[in-house]
Amino acid sequence: MDYGRADLADRLAAEYAAGTLRGAARRRFERLLPAHPVLREATLAWQERLMPLTAALTPVQPSGDVWRRISERIGGKPVEATSPGAWGRLAFWRGLSAFASVAAIGLAVLLANPSSVPPPVVVVLEATATGPAGASAPAIVASISGDGASLVARPIVAVSVQADRSLELWAVPSSGAPRSLGLLPGGSGTVALRAKALAGADTLAVTLEPAGGSPTGKPTGPIVYAGKFSL
Amino acid sequence: MVKPAADWTERSLDLSRLVSRAGLGDRAAFATLYERTSSHLLAVVLRINRDQAQAEDILQEVYVNVWRAAQTFDAAQSQPLTWLTSIARNRAIDSLRRKQTQPQMQSPRAASGGAETEDEDVYDTVADAAPGPLDLLSRASDARALSQCMDKLSALQRQSVALAFFHGLSHAEVAEQLRQPLGTVKSWVRRALMTLKGCLQAAVTLDGVGGKSQGSG
Repeated sequence: MDYGRADLADRLAAEYAAGTLRGAARRRFERLLPAHPVLREATLAWQERLMPLTAALTPVQPSGDVWRRISERIGGKPVEATSPGAWGRLAFWRGLSAFASVAAIGLAVLLANPSSVPPPVVVVLEATATGPAGASAPAIVASISGDGASLVARPIVAVSVQADRSLELWAVPSSGAPRSLGLLPGGSGTVALRAKALAGADTLAVTLEPAGGSPTGKPTGPIVYAGKFSL
Repeated sequence: MVKPAADWTERSLDLSRLVSRAGLGDRAAFATLYERTSSHLLAVVLRINRDQAQAEDILQEVYVNVWRAAQTFDAAQSQPLTWLTSIARNRAIDSLRRKQTQPQMQSPRAASGGAETEDEDVYDTVADAAPGPLDLLSRASDARALSQCMDKLSALQRQSVALAFFHGLSHAEVAEQLRQPLGTVKSWVRRALMTLKGCLQAAVTLDGVGGKSQGSG
């Protein structure tokens, strides 16, 4: 079937969003989505059309247990109580500066006005075939902020690395030496990018280095993840 | 407590920031996002999978997914509430496949004590006191000034869409509920959706909601 055909894509997307596309056809559709922009666009449009219908539903408050379980699973210490209203608008804004955490260094200003910056560039770093036992996740997803000032990396599943090794992230230009962008403990991290850190680079790569990173400033270990990108 | 659909976009603007911050690992923002959206998403899931415990499990999966995928969220492409609701619906529909849990609908067959009239809208009524899918559809469409186009659909077309959308019924299940041939139901749903599309595009233009231009396709 030619999924690039706009009318067919639209019909399938409509049934997917409405929920009538089921079973194997639904799963096939979901597998096709990432690679077919026409399907993806049609699906987004249909979701945008149909989802507001759910606004008529009467909200149902989940039990407090749900948030506790989510909180545990996302690996944080449980964030403060979530009794309704505790996170009121005012409290949120009052707390904003307090919560501008390490992860958000340099980005608070940027995010206060997200519409004025281009969307982030997402790079998928696939595990390389030659990756040794250190590479235990299928991929790491890196998101470069629209202004190129920072990068956030996160593995699809947690990466375990031997205690005497570190994962180091590199920007690899098409010609010239790779530039270190920093360490990624457990495959995740937020990296503030120096000006032009990505200039001329078309690949992000993660190498397995001695603990603390490459002693020479150049990659010394095997490349365990790599992904192409363009800004 | 019913939120008119008109403020879908308004609520979304507010949520965009929270999703972006969550994408950067900000747990407080994520907690706020949960606080503001979880009761809506649970209502969405419960419509499709009516088992409260399962629905809360699904909700948990949804938010763990949202946390992991938050940084891939692109506010330029979709509204956060749409994005979140889609994830919740997809999870809920998947759960039907896995657990074979069907929404507990009043069966037309069980309901018929003998005198069953054609006009009787037994299909509209779910087993509990919650508004039926058609009520919901008309509430939502009122809010979006869609009632005119919904009126153009036949009653059965409307029911088909409402059953499929709000209860996550498949074509076959809708056909069974309405006791109509599968092919007929399929074409009702398809035509109803296309009519809806035309109407919503007109409504979007009027509201100035749409950031994207749609092809006339």
